[in-house]
Amino acid sequence: MNVTEYIESGILESYVMGAVSDQERREVQCLSSIYPEIKAELDQLSEAFEQYALAYSVEPPVSIKTKLLNELDFNEQSEETVVRPLPVDRPFISSFRATWIVAASVGLFLLLFSLFLLSELRTNQKTLASMRESNTKLQGDIQELREEQSQNDQMLALLRQPGTRTIALRGNEKAPDGNMLVFWNRQTHEVAIQVQSLPTLPPDKQYQLWSLVGGKPVDAGVFDPTNGNQLLQRLNRSITQADAFAVTVEKRGGSPSPTLTTLLAMTPVNS
Amino acid sequence: MKRQSSLVSEDVLIEKLARRDKQAFQWLYDQYSPALYGVVLRIVREEEQAQDLLQDIFVKIWKSLDAYDASKGRLFTWLLNIARNTAIDSLRARKTQPSGAIRTDDENVHIVDRQHNTEQPNPEHIGIREVVDQLRPDRKQLIDLVYFGGYTHEEAADELKLPLGTVKTRVRAALQELKQLFKS
Repeated sequence: MNVTEYIESGILESYVMGAVSDQERREVQCLSSIYPEIKAELDQLSEAFEQYALAYSVEPPVSIKTKLLNELDFNEQSEETVVRPLPVDRPFISSFRATWIVAASVGLFLLLFSLFLLSELRTNQKTLASMRESNTKLQGDIQELREEQSQNDQMLALLRQPGTRTIALRGNEKAPDGNMLVFWNRQTHEVAIQVQSLPTLPPDKQYQLWSLVGGKPVDAGVFDPTNGNQLLQRLNRSITQADAFAVTVEKRGGSPSPTLTTLLAMTPVNS
Repeated sequence: MKRQSSLVSEDVLIEKLARRDKQAFQWLYDQYSPALYGVVLRIVREEEQAQDLLQDIFVKIWKSLDAYDASKGRLFTWLLNIARNTAIDSLRARKTQPSGAIRTDDENVHIVDRQHNTEQPNPEHIGIREVVDQLRPDRKQLIDLVYFGGYTHEEAADELKLPLGTVKTRVRAALQELKQLFKS
């Protein structure tokens, strides 16, 4: 279509003046949306006529605006009056409280932990003491066992030596439970005893062993009763000959000749 | 002298109006109510009725905001059309009553003009008024008859005892002259 002709037809002016039929109005609206030239002309005419209308402006009474503001539904949200809660002091108080609670908790924890450590320390000290005790006891036992072991070794060594004789001495009526062994080696002249059981003596007394050679007693050394210990006691005498062995009670250190009244036991060698 | 010389751009205003924003409505009312009231007053020529109509017009505008399409025309023109059509409809409803024919003579129009413009002179519009007064009287008369009187071209031709073609040509000439006047 001829746009210029349409613009010059006067229909746009009539449209702006509101003097067109409904059909004409739709036509103008449609064409102005298609042809930018028509749209531009329509806008210019509209603007000019707006100015014309504006020239006759009259301020309406304020009451109309008031009525309208009361009457119409507005979306009050878009007033952009955002309500924010005022900040209160609570956070400070609660943080103060929290700090206090934490401090108290830590203190309590440390106290309990200290008590725990103290009790642990005591337990450990007790354990240590008992350990030391048992250690001492064990060392004593070990010492004892070693001594016993060495005794046994000596005894074994003594017994293994060729020519060692074992003579059992039994107590007479003065010592009914008296019982001891004498080991004597004819070749090496060594002599040792092992007390099984003998009556205990006063501190100033000792037992003395005698070897009888041709009816004469020869000192074979002194010894103490070591009841139940079965200790092998080497007697520091050299015995070359012996027909029998006898035991008497003498003063400490021994006597040159036996006191016959204290004779407890006597056993011949070749029995 | 553009209406957009205000704080809000028309796009933002329309967007806010669509959200039924109260401030946007107030802005719209403050901007356009004097012009619309002036138009209504020129059409019905009676203050009380014009005030009632103005209220109806703004209610109508508020309700039909969704129907406004910026691509089809300017906002002010759209508002003017609603105001003018509402007032003309009211006038025609009255015309059917035995109160007599509308008086289209300039005399009445000028009485109204004198009443309101002397009471509430609007300095902002004085310049425009001077421009409008430069318009040729026969053309101005025709605009008033068609736009404010609600006359069709035929009715105007009858009223002015002019051929229809002349009326049409003169309407076009009047608008073109107006366009040229405000362009300069």
